[in-house]
Amino acid sequence: MIKILAACGAGVNSSHQIKDALEREMGDRGYDVKCDAVMVKDITEDMISKYDIFTPIAKTDLGFTPSIPVVDAGPILYRIAAMAKPVYDKVEETIKSNGLK
Amino acid sequence: MHAIIDIANKVFNPIINLGAAPIMLIVLTLLALLFGVKFSRALEGGIRLAIALTAIGDIINMLTSAYQKPLNDFVKSTGIHLSITDVGWAPLGTITWGSPYTLFFLVIMILLNIVMLVLNKTNTLDVDIFDIWHISFTALMAMYFGANLFVATLLILYIGALKIVNSDLMKPTFNDLLDAPDENPMTTTHLNYMMNPIIMVFDKIFDKLFPWLDKYDFDSAELNKKIGFWGSHFAIGVYLGIFIGLLSKQDVQTILTLAFTGGTCLELFSLIGSWFIAAVEPLSQGISDFATKRFQGRTFNIGLDWPFIAGRAEVWAAANVLAPIMLVEALVLPGNHIMPLGSIIAMGVTPALLVVTRGKIIRMIVIGAIEMPIFLWAGTLSAPFITSVAKNVGAFPAGVGSGTQIAEATKEGPIEQFLAYLVGKASEGQIEFIIYAALALIAYGLIFWWYAKQMKKRNAEYAAAKESN
Repeated sequence: MIKILAACGAGVNSSHQIKDALEREMGDRGYDVKCDAVMVKDITEDMISKYDIFTPIAKTDLGFTPSIPVVDAGPILYRIAAMAKPVYDKVEETIKSNGLK
Repeated sequence: MHAIIDIANKVFNPIINLGAAPIMLIVLTLLALLFGVKFSRALEGGIRLAIALTAIGDIINMLTSAYQKPLNDFVKSTGIHLSITDVGWAPLGTITWGSPYTLFFLVIMILLNIVMLVLNKTNTLDVDIFDIWHISFTALMAMYFGANLFVATLLILYIGALKIVNSDLMKPTFNDLLDAPDENPMTTTHLNYMMNPIIMVFDKIFDKLFPWLDKYDFDSAELNKKIGFWGSHFAIGVYLGIFIGLLSKQDVQTILTLAFTGGTCLELFSLIGSWFIAAVEPLSQGISDFATKRFQGRTFNIGLDWPFIAGRAEVWAAANVLAPIMLVEALVLPGNHIMPLGSIIAMGVTPALLVVTRGKIIRMIVIGAIEMPIFLWAGTLSAPFITSVAKNVGAFPAGVGSGTQIAEATKEGPIEQFLAYLVGKASEGQIEFIIYAALALIAYGLIFWWYAKQMKKRNAEYAAAKESN
């Protein structure tokens, strides 16, 4: 299973939209993806190391450099399919290039 | 005519008697269908909302039942009258969405956005349907204090129009804060940014009197790292439970119960908040599809929920530092009756501070501390209204004492809550309130106009800097 970490301010709205969209789209593309949604401020180096991909909404200063690939997932929130597609493609490319499964 | 009313009563009364959760299931499902959402997705949203409403009532019951007596004892033992429980944003959001009026105000806001887009008064398409509850909250509060539906609608049209204009004004600052290119469409219509004009007044004073303080700005990300889990929901619930237990002179067992109940409730409020957002999601997508279809070919700014700037460490560093400051202010502030708990990490306060100060952390903390009383007073003012709405939608425990009230210490839009109060009272015809409301609405518009001028200057500087590069 590929584990993705999404993050936003309260860990309940934007990050959940990203989580739902990624799980649905990546599932449709044939990947077994599990995405968790958390508050940005709760992310630690230890937490992020347990995931395969980090998908923040925008540039995020965590106080450390994430040890996993980062894909900007903000365009998913625009709710326009054509704008979200490059994000899904980038996640898929990351999955393939890192041999994730 | 009587026959029609009789038939309407026969059809609708049994549905109304079912209670708020079933009504909202039906109403939300029907509205989503109206915006072209598939039946199964529409029904899923309706069921999720009914479940979220039911669950939030149970958690409020758990929290208020545990804290009612200790908070009363706290008042007796300290003489400090902080008897209103701060439940944070999630119960307020859910309760507000539990009112059918919210769907009416949602439609009004969509129409306002469309009209402003057509007339080229904005370039922002607001897709943050979920946060319409803040506007609905303002309107419902005005109605609670005496306004009729028409007046409440006029009030939110006024606030809503300025809110949308503000999203355009802030757009270049967001690009700056996110280090994003001009093509980045992210902006926000969130109500918390309507504090920007007030904050800007203090920021200008800072520019004149204390610019030297900026050199003491510290590394926000480093501070957040050090605070670690102490800023998380469950930890806040635990140590505030201990704080209230100790000051209200409870025994050890009660103190521990308060601590763990507080931690449990704050965790669950967030969890249930996410159910409620999932409930509105099919409707949000339906409305976005509806609007984007009708404006094909036009490039928009997209109005999102505020957290796309949550990646800026200053938002959290300021919130963490302001938490103990808020607690102390709450204890000594005359006229405040709310005990900070669920919203002590002031997410409703710090994003606007970030935008106006552009991340100057000392300014964010100092101005945040100065403006905090406005939030606490607004929380106190809105408590009877929030408690009343919670009771109306069946989200308030029947067994809890009649004096028990809930509110949010850092609810976004405190100025708008004062406006709602004044407009509501003015609607009852009291001449002094009519004068106060008129003056307040004019002042609100004037300070926004001054703020807009400052932001336009700032945006011109951004544009000039880009040209010179």
